[in-house]
Amino acid sequence: MMMLKRDKKEEEEGGGNPFNNLEKSTVLQETRTFNETPINPRKCGHILTKLLYVINQGENIGANEATEAFFAMTKLFQSKDPILRRLMYMGIKDMSKIANDVIIVTSSLMKDMTGKEDQFRGPAIRALCSITDTSMLQSIERYMKQAIVDKVPGVSSAALTSSLHLSKTSQDVTKRWVNEAQEAVNSDNIMVQYHALGLLYHIRRNDKLAVTKLVSKFSKHTLKSPYAYCLLIRIATKLIEEEDAGSGSPMFDFIESCLRHKSEMVIYEAAQAIVQLKNTTAKDLAPAVSVLQLFCSSPKPTLRFAAVRTLNKVAMKHPAAVTACNLDLENLITDVNRSIATLAITTLLKTGSETSVDRLMKQISTFMSEISDEFKIVVVQAIRSLCAKFPRKHSVLMNFLASMLRDEGGFDYKKEIVDCIIATIEENPEAKEAGLAHLCEFIEDCEHTVLATKILHLLGREGPRTPTPSKYIRFIYNRVILENAAVRAAAVSAIAKFGGHCEELLQSCVVLLERCEMDTDDEVRDRATFYVNVLKQQQRNLSSAYILNGLTVSVVGLERALYSVLEHGLKHVCCTGLTVSVVGLERALHQYTLEPSESPFDMKTVPLATQPLADQKVRETPGLAGDVGKPEKSAATRQDLYAEQLAAVPELANVGALFKSSQPLEITESETEYYVQCIKHTFSNYMVFQFDCTNTLNDQVLDRVTVDMEAADGFEVVKQIPCPSLPYNKPGSTYTLVHLPEDPTSVTGTFPCTLKFVVRDCDPNTGEPDDDGYEDEYVLEDVEVTVADHVQKVMKPNFAASWEEVGPENELEDTYALSSMSTLEEAIKNIIQYLGLQPCERSDKVPEGKSSHTLYLAGIYRGGHDALVRAKLALDTSGVTMQLTVRSTDPSVSEVLATAIA
Amino acid sequence: MGFFDTLAQWLGVKKREVNVLVVGLDNSGKTTIINHFKPHDSKNHDIVPTVGFNVERFTSKALAFTAFDMSGQGRYRNLWEHYYRECHGVIFVIDSSDKLRMVVAKDELDLLLQHSDLKNRRIPILFFANKMDLRESVSSVKCSSLMGLDQIRDKPWHICASNAVTGEGLSEGVDWLTDQIKDLIESKKK
Repeated sequence: MMMLKRDKKEEEEGGGNPFNNLEKSTVLQETRTFNETPINPRKCGHILTKLLYVINQGENIGANEATEAFFAMTKLFQSKDPILRRLMYMGIKDMSKIANDVIIVTSSLMKDMTGKEDQFRGPAIRALCSITDTSMLQSIERYMKQAIVDKVPGVSSAALTSSLHLSKTSQDVTKRWVNEAQEAVNSDNIMVQYHALGLLYHIRRNDKLAVTKLVSKFSKHTLKSPYAYCLLIRIATKLIEEEDAGSGSPMFDFIESCLRHKSEMVIYEAAQAIVQLKNTTAKDLAPAVSVLQLFCSSPKPTLRFAAVRTLNKVAMKHPAAVTACNLDLENLITDVNRSIATLAITTLLKTGSETSVDRLMKQISTFMSEISDEFKIVVVQAIRSLCAKFPRKHSVLMNFLASMLRDEGGFDYKKEIVDCIIATIEENPEAKEAGLAHLCEFIEDCEHTVLATKILHLLGREGPRTPTPSKYIRFIYNRVILENAAVRAAAVSAIAKFGGHCEELLQSCVVLLERCEMDTDDEVRDRATFYVNVLKQQQRNLSSAYILNGLTVSVVGLERALYSVLEHGLKHVCCTGLTVSVVGLERALHQYTLEPSESPFDMKTVPLATQPLADQKVRETPGLAGDVGKPEKSAATRQDLYAEQLAAVPELANVGALFKSSQPLEITESETEYYVQCIKHTFSNYMVFQFDCTNTLNDQVLDRVTVDMEAADGFEVVKQIPCPSLPYNKPGSTYTLVHLPEDPTSVTGTFPCTLKFVVRDCDPNTGEPDDDGYEDEYVLEDVEVTVADHVQKVMKPNFAASWEEVGPENELEDTYALSSMSTLEEAIKNIIQYLGLQPCERSDKVPEGKSSHTLYLAGIYRGGHDALVRAKLALDTSGVTMQLTVRSTDPSVSEVLATAIA
Repeated sequence: MGFFDTLAQWLGVKKREVNVLVVGLDNSGKTTIINHFKPHDSKNHDIVPTVGFNVERFTSKALAFTAFDMSGQGRYRNLWEHYYRECHGVIFVIDSSDKLRMVVAKDELDLLLQHSDLKNRRIPILFFANKMDLRESVSSVKCSSLMGLDQIRDKPWHICASNAVTGEGLSEGVDWLTDQIKDLIESKKK
């Protein structure tokens, strides 16, 4: 005791941890002191504490050293000193998994657990259970049963919790202790009752009927312990969730009745359970919410916090239910505890009406400076959802965000605000000017390079299209003078975009860029020189290709690839503004350098960068984060993986570079005997169908698996590459190579497919197949080749520039009546799906209440031809009317796309 | 050991504490012998096979004994050696009615005597030829010849016939052990 006191004192005085510089080996050496007779409890206690500290710091102790220390420790059983003894029990528990022969202390512990000293009995039980394995459990079973029903609560609780731990490994033995646990549930001690219920539930956990009985039994006969009640509520909630039962279930009645319990803990648990249930109506929620409402005015801060936190969560799902509490939440806004106040305000923001927004924003701004960054982020997320909900309130919200930007704050906080502003600008065109102005102000004094470059990029994209682009240039050029190299480079690119887009600013931009040509940084200088030269040409298509819709490959990757080309003395690199994947480019260049060829290198042979699927994904509602999966990060690399996979098949080596791979398509039901997925790979003149097959029958092995395809008009099946063997549950791939029709306009078709194979029966257990098999086949669903398979999505940030660049040479125009569509959104979704093109400039979103809309789509057609589509849509009573204009660098491509919709 | 402890011992108020190790084959009666020395109210009525070891305390006329009552079961016998180093004396219990396993006991004894922690120490060994009341039991003389005790030359030893259930012969043996340990401690001091 003295030792501990002194330690505490030292800690207070020195502030340092007395055990900070412990060495594992010295401590282990010191354990030899335990062997001395007679035992010095004070000294040994201190050493043992050090040993426990070392073990709990996660130090790895070897089995031999640990065993030696453990046996030294067993000598301490001589001592009667209570503190030393209890430390020793802890030591035994902690070392039970690392030392050998820990069984040696069994009898000694058994003696202690049945002994007179109550203080030793509980810890002895815990230590005993940790050293006992399943085979030895039989011998202590009798004592455990006695301990569970012991009248000393500490002993009983120790036995119950230890049994719970034991049942992880020896469920069968602990199952036999049900009767004792039953008896312990009737104990008067609240902790024993709770632990006993826990053990009972654990034993019966897998038997649903028994659990139901358990709950209904104890919900009728009153338990004393509020902890046990909370546990019972949790069990009941789980049952309701498993059964998918709504408020009709008797379990729900029980939970509801707990709302009237006298313990606050139970009431809160019940309310929380009801609120989190899935199938609840507003009527079911009402009593729970009113209980939480009561808690909101409780004098205890913990209760207020719990209530408002739960209400905050409910507000996501059932904002209407929470409106009843608005008055109480308003009172909490001024709470002295800032966490409570923040949660209250964000809850109100979620539930409040448009009119209350102004007042709440004013209120929250009074204490923004007092809360931590973490809660500030919560506030920003709430504002973000408000911006989406009430677009008309953008000016208030924007001003608020701007003032938040001016305040002190960490990177995460600032990033959240900038993201929020950017999202608002993109969603709401009206907010654009104000948002850009705030961001301009922010970069004047921004210490985060990442944020500054992000904002500069945004300014370059959005600024030129505002009514007064010139006012942004000052802000951007200031960056060139004041900032570090990365920001300067971003600023140069942004200025060039202004010059490329706005005729009247061209001259001034060129002057500004020329000044940057003397920059100290290579990257900045290079960019400036490049842009000045392009801009001086004064050709729209050039600036469109190189400045406005520049390459979307990483500059580094391209540079490296080009460098390797130049190294080989090949200077004919024909590079057009394509969106290429870096990996693909590198591979193509590599191949090119390997084959001595006189023809110029053509960028069109390089695979395109796949447009990430999550591109336009609207940010999930804040607060729900965590259960929303990450956006498909691998989208860009998926195709590179396929390309590698296909390149490994020797028969497919000469089909050229992979243009596009489709998403896997299921052509069987997933529960059938054979499960087949099809992936369509498009090459410039061929298509490869990859069939990923899985054999779900464990008594069969399939050999020589192929997929027989009936070729549609003009298509020709060239080759089938069988999968040699398909054992149970191991996926394998078979390929079918199809030559595309010579006629460039016939590109679609339907292919009926049949899976053909040789079956060999096998023993399900050993997997040993019979020698001879028989041929069999299995009909699959048809595989369709659509226009979308020939088109790769490409994002053109400035559609108009590309539209002019391609020119009206191969333009086709037609008007369609889409009578089956009833809304513009539906029509847009279908058009995108048919054509497989990328919507540009967020034109896939229709502003609310508009009856006409223009959709811009861009992509690359197989063979590397640009393809641009402008669809003017109008909604009237008979459906949607569409005027479709297609421009492309190849006449047949225009024809294919124009007819795709029909 | 503090000053007061030394003083108390010198005055004879507090007895000197020594450790003894109680070993022997399983079912030879080790725990029962120790149980006999315990004060009446803490006596255990049902003796079960020991797993590992038990620490018990008892006093004789001049010493306070801390007895490490080891388990005699085959798989735990190799754990005895962890306690050799600190003991001042060994009590080896033999089941004198179990002639068959007398050789096993002898083997264990030889291993004990050869152990590096005991080999060069002159620690006293007390043998109890236990269960002398049984009809098939052999005499202590026969027992000592079966165990080859006459081969032990470097350690003081003593054998006495005992009956742990009634306590017959036990105090005689412990008195001998007390004298030996006392002598040993005296001679060390000189």
